Amino acid sequence: MSTIGYVDVEGFRLRADPARDDCFKVVLRDADMHEYPEGTELAARETVHRHMSNEITSLDIAAQCLVEFPDAPWELRLELARQCWDEARHVQVLYRRLLEMGGHKGEFPIATFEWMITSALDSIVARLATQNRTFEAGAMDVVKSLARGFRSGGDEETSAVLEGILADEIQHVRFANRWIKRLAQQDRRSLMQMAKAVRLIADVNGKLAVRKGEVNAVGKELTAAEENVPAVNIEDRKLAEFSDEEIHEILRQAGFRSLVEDDRAEASV
Amino acid sequence: MNVKQRADAVGTFRYIEVQLMETAAYWTPITPQMEVKVMLGRHIWDFAQHADWLGKRTFELRQAEHYTRRPGDDYHQLLEQMKQAEGVEERLTLLYDITIPGLIRRYERYLEETDRLLDGPTVLVIERIVPELRRQISDAHALRAEIGLKTTDATDFRNREAAIASVVAA
Repeated sequence: MSTIGYVDVEGFRLRADPARDDCFKVVLRDADMHEYPEGTELAARETVHRHMSNEITSLDIAAQCLVEFPDAPWELRLELARQCWDEARHVQVLYRRLLEMGGHKGEFPIATFEWMITSALDSIVARLATQNRTFEAGAMDVVKSLARGFRSGGDEETSAVLEGILADEIQHVRFANRWIKRLAQQDRRSLMQMAKAVRLIADVNGKLAVRKGEVNAVGKELTAAEENVPAVNIEDRKLAEFSDEEIHEILRQAGFRSLVEDDRAEASV
Repeated sequence: MNVKQRADAVGTFRYIEVQLMETAAYWTPITPQMEVKVMLGRHIWDFAQHADWLGKRTFELRQAEHYTRRPGDDYHQLLEQMKQAEGVEERLTLLYDITIPGLIRRYERYLEETDRLLDGPTVLVIERIVPELRRQISDAHALRAEIGLKTTDATDFRNREAAIASVVAA
């Protein structure tokens, strides 16, 4: 029987990498990725390649939840199954775009960090809190900014792809938010499981995060992780049913930078 | 077929569709090829929807919603063996060349045996499922041609599948 085991990373017990094509080089830290200076064709391709890889990982995570939590409520499993298809389509559409841009699969290193953390957790509520409510919600912030950046740089096609993906991601975050509330009402231990998951993310991030002044694998000086928090996508977080209090807390962590404010700043230029 | 026999057959089909969903999901992270993962991701959703439609129908046949019935041991063993197949070529062969075509035959046999008027809602569900299963087979054929995957010799598995007259447990 083929199973994916666990690995020790900086003292944490994380899930070993899921299978990947031989053409991919899998790395652990952001500093090992090939992030290039913005505004170049190479940077644009690397961004699309990175998101394509992240979508593969999201597919792996949702599929693994179906396997490892057969007793989860059927309606939740149905949402996860639908997520598998959504993530699969995202991979396809980003791969299509990558090829149109002259890139290829395996052109840049990839990471499976989200899988390693999420799939190491042993409850469905912790996985929803980690993958859907944290990583995918964070991706909503990043993707909206990226879509805007591609559009302002004249790349309408990539922008449209990212906006289409973003609409799907809202539903992935929303169903997680709904199920987390429901599961927590049914079993208060869920709250502890989620707290443990959030702690794990913070601790692992603390060990692996980019440090101030660190230079990545292609010579770009990186911004320290704590200074690189994306502006908050308030509109989509509301659609994903984050409460006003939760959005306020996320905004506080982002230094009260929101994409609404960025919109206003752009409009006033 | 009486109402109980119809419910048992629909509940058994539901079990099989859930098993296929879980098998495709199980293979996804352990399969290296991106293109195969993508195809499995689509088919996971297909199987889940089939199971959902069948599960809603069981409620109309005097059973609980999502009434699910394990098939006979011989068929259940085949499903388990398929899930544990090593290597992507064997996995695709067992699922798309043998199990799904066999399942289509079993659905078609059900359509022949039931009263299509009296059992119209089940007929409607099965007539939605079968074209999707045929599309999955086409997807797999196209994918294998695209990325150069071969079929494997699965004569024993094929013979055992064909020898099972009914998947519904006694």
